Order: sequence, then C-alpha cells, then structure tokens
Amino acid sequence: MSQENTKGSGTAEQKPTFSQGGVPTTGHSWDGDIRELTNPLPRWWVWAFYITAIFTVVYWLFYPAWPVGSTFTKGVPGLNSITYTATQVDGTEVEKTTHWNMRSKFMVEMNELHAAQKQWFDKVAATPYDQIAQDAELMQFVTSAGKTLFSDNCAPCHQAGGQGVIGFAPNLTDDHWQYGGAYEQIEATIVHGRRGYMPAFKEIVSDEEIGQLANYVLSLSGEPHDAGSASSGAKLFQTNTAGCYACHGADAKGIEGIGSANLTDKIWLWANIPELNTPEEKLKVVKTIISGGLNRGVMPPWEDRLKPDQIKLLTVYVHQGLGGGK
Amino acid sequence: MAATGTAATVNSNEQYNYDIVRKFTIMTLIWGAIGMFVGVYIASELAFPVLNFDNPYITFGRLRPVHTGAVIFGFGGSALFATSYYVVQRTCQARLFSDGLANFTFWGWQAAIVFAALGNVMGHSQGREYAEMEWPIDLLILFVWVAYLTVFVGTLMKRKQPHIYVANWFYLAFILATALLHVFNNLAIPVELFSMKSYSLFSGVQDAMTQWWYGHNAVGFFLTAAFLGMMYYFVPKQAGRPIYSYRLSVIHFWAIIFLYMWAGSHHLHWTAIPDWTSTLAATFSIMLLLPSWGGMINGILTLSGAWDKLRTDPVMRFLIVALSFYGMSTFEGPMMSLKDVNALSHYTDWTVGHVHSGALGWVAMITFGSLYHLVPRLWNTPMHSLKLINVHFWLATIGILLYITAMWISGIMQGLMWRAFDDFGNLQYSFVESVAAAHPFYIMRAVGGAFFLAGMILMCYNMYKTIRKGSVEPTAEQQVEGKLSANAA
Repeated sequence: MSQENTKGSGTAEQKPTFSQGGVPTTGHSWDGDIRELTNPLPRWWVWAFYITAIFTVVYWLFYPAWPVGSTFTKGVPGLNSITYTATQVDGTEVEKTTHWNMRSKFMVEMNELHAAQKQWFDKVAATPYDQIAQDAELMQFVTSAGKTLFSDNCAPCHQAGGQGVIGFAPNLTDDHWQYGGAYEQIEATIVHGRRGYMPAFKEIVSDEEIGQLANYVLSLSGEPHDAGSASSGAKLFQTNTAGCYACHGADAKGIEGIGSANLTDKIWLWANIPELNTPEEKLKVVKTIISGGLNRGVMPPWEDRLKPDQIKLLTVYVHQGLGGGK
Repeated sequence: MAATGTAATVNSNEQYNYDIVRKFTIMTLIWGAIGMFVGVYIASELAFPVLNFDNPYITFGRLRPVHTGAVIFGFGGSALFATSYYVVQRTCQARLFSDGLANFTFWGWQAAIVFAALGNVMGHSQGREYAEMEWPIDLLILFVWVAYLTVFVGTLMKRKQPHIYVANWFYLAFILATALLHVFNNLAIPVELFSMKSYSLFSGVQDAMTQWWYGHNAVGFFLTAAFLGMMYYFVPKQAGRPIYSYRLSVIHFWAIIFLYMWAGSHHLHWTAIPDWTSTLAATFSIMLLLPSWGGMINGILTLSGAWDKLRTDPVMRFLIVALSFYGMSTFEGPMMSLKDVNALSHYTDWTVGHVHSGALGWVAMITFGSLYHLVPRLWNTPMHSLKLINVHFWLATIGILLYITAMWISGIMQGLMWRAFDDFGNLQYSFVESVAAAHPFYIMRAVGGAFFLAGMILMCYNMYKTIRKGSVEPTAEQQVEGKLSANAA
C-alpha cells in the first residue's frame, strides 16, 4: 500500500520475507505495512514471570489465601502466626495465637501502643489536677498526647492553637473563661458540652431601645458610642422590661454558672467588634445580636467519644498547655 | 490478498467510514481540554480552598467526578471509539458494519458524558467511583455499548483479511469486559420510576468488592487493554517496523485478560474484606507485572533498529514515552498491592500519583501520539506545526514529572506522618499537620497539571489549524496513501 512498504513485500499472502536481523515475520500483514516478527519470548521476561508466580505461591503460604467451602486456607501453621492478648467480657485477659489476619495484627499493634501509654495515663488518672502541673515529666506526656487529642477533636472549632474564632468558638488561650477556668469547670465543659443561648429582644423592646442598649454595651468596653443613648441603655439594662441584668448580672460582668458573657471587658465572643472600623458598623452588629438573640455556640458533649482518662488529660492540656487556667 | 494492493487506489472515504472517526477525534480533543481544565481547577481548590467561592456546585466533591468522567470517558473513551473504528476498518479492510449504529454510539456516548457531568454538578451520584452516573445514564451507556459491540464485531466478521490483527483482540476484550463491568456494577433499583436516586443490589463487603472489581478492571480493560490496542496499531505504523514478537503479543494478551479480573480487591486492603480476598488480589497483581510489561516490551522493541526516530520524530517520542510510563506505573501498581507497602500508601496521595502516572503518562501520551498520526490522514494534510508537537511533548512530560513527584513526596510523607509515634506511644502528628505539610505539594501538583493542560490546549490549536487547512476529500495525488505523515511537514 504505501510506497515505503512496497520495498519490503508485495502482498499479504507472500512468504515471510520482511525480516529484521534474520528474524522472519509471521507472514501476515495488515493495512499494507503492519507485520509481526517471530521473535521468541525474551528469556528474562519468562524467568521474571516464573519468579512472580513463585513469589505468589510463597505469599499464599504466609497469608490466608484461598476459599475452601465455607472456610479458607490459613497459610502454613506457625509460619506467620500472631499472638496477642485479648480482654474478655469478664475483664480477664487471655493470650491467643492465630493465623495471620488483619484484626489480630491490629490488636497486637494497638496493645503495644497502649502498653507504652498506659503507665502515663494511669499516672494522670491517679494524680490530682493541681499536682499534675507540678510534675514536669508527666506534663511532657500531657503535652505530647494532648496536642494530637486537641488537634483531632477540638481544633476544628477552637483552631489549631486554641485561639478560637470570634462569632463561632471561644479563645482558649486567654484567661477569660465563660463557664469558669478551674480544672473541674473545664472538665465539666468537655464532658457535657455547652450550649450558648440569648433570647431575641426585638419583640420585647423597641428598636430605639435596642439602640440604647447597644450603645451602653459598647460604652462598657470603651468603644465609640452615643453617651446619651448609652445612659438610657444603662437604665433599661437594669429594668425588668429588658431584664438584661438577670443573665449578665447587675454589674454586667456575666455569670459563670450560666455562661453569660462579661460585657465589661474587651473580649468579644459573637460580635466581631475588633474587625470593624466605623462606630456605625459596631453599633449595627451589636444591635443585630440584641434584636435577634443567639442560638449558636453549641459545644457537643465528649463523654461518649473520649475516654475519662483522655478527658482528664485534655482538661490539663487546656488549663496548662494552652494557658490561662484558673 | 489481492485486495490489499488495490485498497490504496480507492478513495478512503468511500471504502471506510472516516466521518465517525473524525467526529470522535474532535470530541477527544474537546473533552481532553475540558476534563484537564476541571482537573487543574480542583487541584487548585485543594491547594487554595478559597477557589470554592462558597458555591456548592463547583466544590471538589462535585467537580471531581466531572473531571474523571470527562477525562476517562470523554477524552479516553472518544479516543478509543475513534481509533478502534479506524483500526478495525483498516486492518480488516472493511467498512464499518453499520454507519447508523456507529453514529448512534457517537451521539449516545457524548450525551451520556454531558448528562453525567450535569448530574454530578447537580448533586446526583451513585457514590461509586468512576461510575457516579445514576441509572438512567447507565441505561443509555448500556444501549450505546451494545451498539458499539455490534458495530465492532460486525466489522470483524466482514473482514477481507484472513487473520484478526492483535490490536483488534485488545479492543474487543475491552468492549466485552466493559459491558460486563458496567452491567454488574450498576445493578440498582431506582427509588421510583422518575427518580434519579437508586440503591445498589449489593450491600456491605459485596458492594465494596463489586465496586472495586469494576474500578480496577475499568483501569485494566478500559485504560490498559484498549490503549494497548491503540499502541499495537499506531506504534508499528508510525515506526514503519514490524511488531517485535507475535508470540509475546499472544501470551501477554491472555495473561492480562486472565489475571486482571482477580486484582480489584487490592483497592480494599486493610478494610473489612476477608483476608483471603486481600491476599489473592495482592498476588494476582504481582503476577500481572510481567504480562503488563509484555505490551511495553513489544512496543519498545518494535522500534529496535529505528531508534533514531526517537530523536527525529516527536510523534514517535510521545508513543515511546507513553510505553515507558506504562512500564513504570505497571511496576508501581503491583508493589503498592503488597499488604505491607499498601499499609503505607493506602489513603495517601501516592495512590493519586500512581493513577496519574498511568493516566497522564500512558493513556494521554499514547492518545496524543496516535492522534498526531491520525489527524493528518483523516484530513489529508500534514500537521500544521511539528514544532508545536515538540513543545507539547515537553510541556506534557514536565507536567507529569511535576505531578507524580509531588504526589510521591506528599503521599509517602502522609503515610509516614500518620503512623509516627513518639516515645510515649502517642501519635506524633495530628491529621491537620499532615494536611499542612502536604500544602506545598498540592501547589506543585496543580502547577504540573497546568503544564499538562497547556500542552493539551496547544495540541487543540495545532489540530484546529491542521483541520482548517485540510480536507476530508483527498486530492488526486493524495490518493496514494502513506505519503502523508506528520513527518512530511
């Protein structure tokens, strides 16, 4: 067909004349110039293939491999067996030896790690909170274990360094604690979780009054505000109409028992005041919160997800490791 | 046969249905550009999540199946339709069995890919990797596939050649296996007649194993066997040399066909599957190494005695580098299927890198080479620019190297970080630290992808210019075939 091809041979039926290094072709040709040489299989290729087959059979001797009826071959007994310690329902430990299998291998590896960790976790469990912090070696363990525990469980909300996000999750690195910063209080927060709630005031007080309250709240933190409006707000704050004092306290410093915010410091949990530039924007965002309330700030309970010793360790980590504990 | 000699003097457009080959060729280029663009975009999203723009329709989860669908089925599938229709006609010296059915495969296939992409963006998914399209699209694909099989087998049966060329064995194996895989993996019951939602007939371990029987053999038959068919035609054609060994082609063909079907469960190592399925999958993967290499050896040794072509012919370079990447990833795959290696590689970017060394290095490169050979013959004109082919080659090669190097480093790093413990027995790293550590490599991967995409766009431009100056009707002097080649430019 092609010019180049006619040099090699004429038609497809021809004897195998196209050869390369003395190797003849099969004598077939397609589409003019496609032919096949009759080279044998490369010897190294054949041997390498045999080696993979031998490797395969050896692998079958080491691992479960072939289904037989309702069971399967388990490899040569004793060749690749696994011995591990299992805890039975009644709490007693038994040593088991079995053919290689994923679950036993997992048990062995987890047992090894737990054995390494156990003495430290036991020590954390046996030591009162305030003494853990005194033990430099134990604190090393708390920091090492706490870092991954915190990162894998707490950091998605409180961020990798525990600095939190205004409007979403509180900062754990400062010394302000909404629900209390003592060991027991932190532990209670982790065990049971928390739920932040503030009712909406738009049906209760007028828009103008919300403005007054917002100016008062801003004035408490030294933010720009309308002084006249703020002094009206201060009065309204203490009345039973608005009832702000009931949760935030007459001194507006919040109540730890219910986790209400301290309005007199410069720490903002929901309104991102530090990010806003103009007094109008600041007033607007505070008004939005008073008007609509808050039903956010859900921290889930961890008692079913983490073991008690992990919770205790995390408590120390948050209290000491991140700092600011009381 | 006497007919062989006369074929050259007949107008190819009358003897063969080239129209369908041209259509699929153009769609190969278009889907390639779209699919690779989406790939680069989602790779960039992983590096810079701000690119989600808080828009659910363009998040990674929805666009990822759009990417895989467009590159595997749009780009790869169209390339296979185009080349298989071309190869089967030329090596059988027979026109396609049915032009009408062939046309149906074109429109049906394109519609399926468009619907699948729209469905994925809208949030419809079966949640089966590489088979995300819901049941109505699966049915459309089934009809298309039966038509494809009919056209292909019908053409083989009316061949004017006594023997069926090896490329056609591979294409036929691909068509049959894909039919089998597609049907069984997609057995599902729709929630109601007019609902896109369906539930698989399988559950639990059976469901996972069916999915990965499909997933792995989609790689084995769609992305390997079929593209070996492409290789078996275009490499000897472009090299002008005979295939190295007929016997090797027979042996490695049957070895691949027999062994691939067992290997799928290696995607499920260290999960809840029975241990013995995991072992069998690992060992059959190991035994697949040399049969896979059989194709590479046969292709590369076909060039022996004509090695200078690697220097002078950029098209040949695409084909041979494709075979080299094929050899590399079919070595890497069996290694990763060993239980202990997999314990490190599973769930890491190493897997992603492995897939792309096969997908970019083998599938895309062999397709590029074949299309650069094919298009001048379909439009009866030399390629617009040989220089651009060369630039494309280097863009693609650099892109692949950046991509897989990034994923090797990041994957092995992830595997090591996830299993690192300190002296207390505590995990040394949190998960997010491994994410942060991977960040630079995600950027590097996106850059590698961008290189590859740039090459693809350059190819589209080169093809556009070529097709514009060419003609589907050969001129009188072009009637003698074989004069036209990309090298003639």
